[in-house]
Amino acid sequence: MNNNEISQKPYKEENFAPKIVGFLCNWCSYAGADKAGTAQKPYPPHVNIIRVMCSGRVDPEFVLQAFSEGADGVIILACHPGDCHYKEGNYRARQRHQITVNLLEALGIEKERLRFDYVSAGEGEKFTRVVEEAVETIKNLGPLNHG
Amino acid sequence: MKTGVYFCNCSGNISGQVNSETIKDNLQSRHSGAYFKTCELLCSEEGINFLEEDLKENAPDRVLVMACSPRDHENTFMNALKRAGINPYYLQMVNIREHVAWVTPDGDTATQKTIRCLEGALQRVLLHEPLEMKQVEASLETLVIGAGPAGLSAALKLAEAGRKVTLVEKTPFIGGMPVRYEEIFPHLECGPCMLEGMMDRILHNDFPGSIELLTMAEVTEVVGSYGNFTARIKQYPRFVEEKNCLGCDLCVEACPVTTPNEFNLGMGEKKAISPPLPGALPYVPYLDPKACLRWKEEECSLCQETCLVEGAINFEQTETTVERNAGAIILATGFSLYPTEKLGQLGYEKVNSVYHSLEFERIAAENGPTEGQIITREGSFPQKVAIVHCAGSLEEEHAAYCSGVCCAYALKFNLMINKKLPETEIVHFFKELTLPGAEDYELYKRVKDNPLTSFIRYHSSSDLFISEKEGRPALQYVDQQGATGNIELDMVILCPPMVPGKDTVRLANLLEVTRGSNGFLEALHGKMEATQSNVKGIFIAGACQSPKDIKAATTDGASAAGNILSALVEGRKLDISPVAAEINRDICSGCKVCLSICPFKAVSFDEENKTSQVNELLCQGCGTCAAACPSGAARGKHFTDRQITAEIKGVLRNE
Repeated sequence: MNNNEISQKPYKEENFAPKIVGFLCNWCSYAGADKAGTAQKPYPPHVNIIRVMCSGRVDPEFVLQAFSEGADGVIILACHPGDCHYKEGNYRARQRHQITVNLLEALGIEKERLRFDYVSAGEGEKFTRVVEEAVETIKNLGPLNHG
Repeated sequence: MKTGVYFCNCSGNISGQVNSETIKDNLQSRHSGAYFKTCELLCSEEGINFLEEDLKENAPDRVLVMACSPRDHENTFMNALKRAGINPYYLQMVNIREHVAWVTPDGDTATQKTIRCLEGALQRVLLHEPLEMKQVEASLETLVIGAGPAGLSAALKLAEAGRKVTLVEKTPFIGGMPVRYEEIFPHLECGPCMLEGMMDRILHNDFPGSIELLTMAEVTEVVGSYGNFTARIKQYPRFVEEKNCLGCDLCVEACPVTTPNEFNLGMGEKKAISPPLPGALPYVPYLDPKACLRWKEEECSLCQETCLVEGAINFEQTETTVERNAGAIILATGFSLYPTEKLGQLGYEKVNSVYHSLEFERIAAENGPTEGQIITREGSFPQKVAIVHCAGSLEEEHAAYCSGVCCAYALKFNLMINKKLPETEIVHFFKELTLPGAEDYELYKRVKDNPLTSFIRYHSSSDLFISEKEGRPALQYVDQQGATGNIELDMVILCPPMVPGKDTVRLANLLEVTRGSNGFLEALHGKMEATQSNVKGIFIAGACQSPKDIKAATTDGASAAGNILSALVEGRKLDISPVAAEINRDICSGCKVCLSICPFKAVSFDEENKTSQVNELLCQGCGTCAAACPSGAARGKHFTDRQITAEIKGVLRNE
């Protein structure tokens, strides 16, 4: 990460720019992130978004993969309960998130590094808030020790 | 591999924040097989022409478009690839407008974030596969189940557009519940009259298409899927040939047997051969074998002997099964009432002259058991009537929802009683008064100032207790403020909530259509896809999916018909998106996890090979099976494990 980026935003951990992967479902959360874009309100640049059609597509292995490839945090964003474009993929995602959290703890990775939340297509502001909070949380935790 | 990277300036929206030169340098230092081009506005006519021509000239193996959200222009650019002779699924978009340029505080940071996004997309696109849209022929015919307002409306709209419809109705007549109502809220029009125009057109096939009406019939089996369903329909014998019958009723007069009339809910009687209700359409009597002497091994053919048309009454008719094809199915199976006897405190079936709302509709109907006279079980005009709204609604142990229409019809009952018995006192017991919309509140305004009408708000059905006192109902209550009271009455009308009927449940199971927490058929999306079920090609209309009034039911029917007319079009095949799941049979272990989690019933099990298989027509491409498959046999095309993993690695790659 380059120094310009860090100097622009005075975060608590001045020298730490976390790497966060965000899995966003196409219909609600990705659209919510687009909405946040339309609002043109800056948010921290540390989350790279990977689009999946449904949060139910997010295999726990993707999360582990992200951590093993150097991510300090992962967020999974889904449609709100009852709003899933695919009816119930978000419930699957929620269940898998629980399992993944257990896995992470077994691996000694703080569960706070994985965040699951619901963001609808209209919730640009919520998306921004989730990103800000996730970045804040990961900054407080510091870099994941990749050994 | 040659990758074409096209950077859209978006007229400064992107280039004002992201430095394309830095991106270009970075790309070329890492990927020798990639070339980089910029364009001022790639989605403009000029931009698309540039892209198309440049793709033709350079003939890249893969294409990245760094621009806006794929939700905006992915199709635009996929079409450009297609025109340039490149498989459109070789495209990957990099959303650097909404997700970078517009939301990143400064240029350098934005440029660095863009590099990470680009690297992810680049790693991913290298693994893209050429996918093809498939097409299948589809039947333009529709199967409509249920001939109430929703089903009639749907059938008529489809037939008006020239479509062939098979309309299946389980009772001997069409029109559903409203033809049993004397008057309809909010304007107190005659129910059968309101529907008559629609019913006449259906019976006379008065449109370019055709409607085959099968009464006394039920769908027993459905195979196939969207575009090509085949349904088996069992039709019970009416013993009267519809095409021959004149509707003169001579057979009815001749019949020596009377039996309780189920369409008057057991109140009043009918003959063993009889129209279900006076005026029911088609106006053809039906013979009830449970009542007819011939089925009791007695000699009787009085009806046949009296009949003016030879062969109109046919004792030899038997149950038949027919098969019909359909591209789509509409479930319009209506509602039942919550079983009132479960509300023990309210005295139904225990206390004299306690009726539920459908019974009262029949009592108030001119063609009902009392010929429209509002009278108690003893035959006297009631001086004092209680109407209990929300009887079982809004209560967890009964029906945890508001049935929506009861307040309006309860107030309709009030006006109907006022008209026939202007001296009768009416007390409404209600939990909530629900009269939304442009017109229904008018009903309340019309009754509230009548000194003979009063309203008492109660909290729970357990706060009401109806017992019998000297042959009449007496109602003890605790109101919402805790005050108690005791009223002696002549008649009680209970308004229980609508619930899905047992045929709705049976068909939901048969067709694998999901039901929501309250048991009604569930819409794919309650707001945006309100008449589409979870199964593609199966639509749900009317009160089988939620308590609804007639207006909502006919609107649903028209909506379902509209969806079908737009989806199944003459001369157009059905597109099957290749972004679907597939199962690698060589590694499928046959555990069936995918079957249990697919929300669209798109996965079935091949018993012969003991492996799962995906119906691409039904698959919506969510990929939840791919995430769940323990052996890695289920694969989400265009969102494969390898592609997503490559993107993860790409975005995390260290500079």
